[in-house]
Amino acid sequence: MRTLKKLLDKSLETGLWIAMLAMTLTVIWQVFTRFVLRDPSSWTEELAIFLLIWIGLLGSAVALHRGAHLGIDIVVARMSERWARLTAIFVFCCVIFFAMSVFFFGGIKMVAVVLMTNQISPALGIRMGYVYLALPISGFFITMYAVEFIIDEIKLLSGRTVERMPETGRMDVPIE
Amino acid sequence: MEYLPLIVMVAVFIVLLLLNVPIAFSIGLSTLAALWAIGGRPEFVTVAHRVATGIDSFALLAIPFFILSGMLMGRGGLARRLIDFAGTIVGRFTGGLAFVNVVTSMLFGSISGSAVAAVSSIGGFMIPVMNRKGYDRDFNAAVTITAATTGLLIPPSNIMIVYSMAAGGLSVAAIFLAGFLPGILMGLGLMFVCWLVARRKGYGEGEKSSFKQFLVKFKEAVLSLLLVVVVLGGIIGGVFTATEASAVAVAYAFFLVVILYREVKWRDLPGIMLECGITTAVVMLLIGTSVAMSWVLAYENIPQTISAFLVGLTDNRVVIFLIINLMLLIVGTFMDMTPAVLIFTPIFLPVVLELGMHPIHFGIMMIFNLCIGLCTPPVGTCLFVGCSIAKTSIGKVTRPLLPFFVAMIIVLFLITYLPQISLLVPQAFGYK
Repeated sequence: MRTLKKLLDKSLETGLWIAMLAMTLTVIWQVFTRFVLRDPSSWTEELAIFLLIWIGLLGSAVALHRGAHLGIDIVVARMSERWARLTAIFVFCCVIFFAMSVFFFGGIKMVAVVLMTNQISPALGIRMGYVYLALPISGFFITMYAVEFIIDEIKLLSGRTVERMPETGRMDVPIE
Repeated sequence: MEYLPLIVMVAVFIVLLLLNVPIAFSIGLSTLAALWAIGGRPEFVTVAHRVATGIDSFALLAIPFFILSGMLMGRGGLARRLIDFAGTIVGRFTGGLAFVNVVTSMLFGSISGSAVAAVSSIGGFMIPVMNRKGYDRDFNAAVTITAATTGLLIPPSNIMIVYSMAAGGLSVAAIFLAGFLPGILMGLGLMFVCWLVARRKGYGEGEKSSFKQFLVKFKEAVLSLLLVVVVLGGIIGGVFTATEASAVAVAYAFFLVVILYREVKWRDLPGIMLECGITTAVVMLLIGTSVAMSWVLAYENIPQTISAFLVGLTDNRVVIFLIINLMLLIVGTFMDMTPAVLIFTPIFLPVVLELGMHPIHFGIMMIFNLCIGLCTPPVGTCLFVGCSIAKTSIGKVTRPLLPFFVAMIIVLFLITYLPQISLLVPQAFGYK
């Protein structure tokens, strides 16, 4: 079970960096075809946007796992450890509510509706419903990681130790 | 109750934020709460649709690529090359090392696009050197922290792309151009403070450099600086879109640091790509959820309500701009810049447009304002990184930071009330 979970983490992260690489190469190829070959490629823009949607949504799950989402911890930092853990459990419940309601169930409905209208992307000919599959899949993984954190917090509250992956922990995000 | 959805949204948002719910999720959940208060059951699929289509944009692709090229450039010896180069220009003055710190930050911030990276890379080199030369440690931290934010105004800059999207698709090229003078003005203001402090504390002059030394150091730095020239030249000349230019920046950065300088190894690339992917996701989720939020805001006519309220208080634009700046300064003390821009642009932009402010001018004012927030406690990303790099505490840095804040606020006022500072350059290039 544990090895399976680690395999899942690893494949999600590998998928993320490969998608990032693919997206980069796609747009570089677009520039190359436009300025060097003088024959602009027609599919690159669409593919890059689809990859961005998948990176944004699946990456959000990885970001949750790595503690990379931006938050404001000034109040929590002043709480006692017990209250901070209880708050963290509440926080992950909020995350699960949003991920399940909007991303998972809302996403499934959106995929179904778009598949029904049979909307097809103009350049690549992909059915748009498949592009939006990123929503429910992301909702699933976000929920999975949030549940994992909740279990960890409950264990820590009851005085047990947890095994955290070494790379897990707050990551500095160089946005600003 | 006409205001019920607004009150519910704001209350839920603030409570969730204070409990440390990630900001993107706080935005999403308060949007659901507002929909629920409007009446009927919130349609989750509509919110999902807004989030997904909010990310669905070619213009946004510039963000991950500028992040990636910044990460690549910042890992190598960029900071050292720029420090050496800046040293030959401004090193000779009283308090020369502080000047070098500011000028390097301006160049580094432009190339890497990240103020936090500027604090850690430049601070890592400059603060120990300044400490050894007898400069006060806390002053050194203060210079590094404030100077790093200039890079967010000097283009190319990701936060400007975020703003152009939040403002409904302004020209990225025009906003980039608009950032030049305010960024330089901020740098000059900070250098003036450095000069005053250096004179009072007798920090003395730095080394003089000959013209020949300048040429040598320029040659070492020129390939890195060329990145900015290519990107900006391409965008402004209308050769590239911002997204294409950012992809060119990645290719150029890759060539420079992996192939030419070999400062980044091939085996480091997956890690860099992953980090970039995660950072991109954080920004995209914020953008997606805030698109959903601003849709509800617009649906409820909330910007108009706030506008009517502000105009009801006073019809004096000087006072209203002052109120908006004060509110943004307060927001900036505890919120990061990207979410602040995404949340407050749809609220304040309609207000200032009605008062005849140019959207580009407003964007620059807002970004400049929030730069101050990156350096202020309780939450300031640059402040935190700067303190840990300089091995000092927030309490100790606060005093030497004060004169820098005064300078930044004076420049903020100039930028607010003199639109020409922001609009002169874009207008000279023909942007209206």
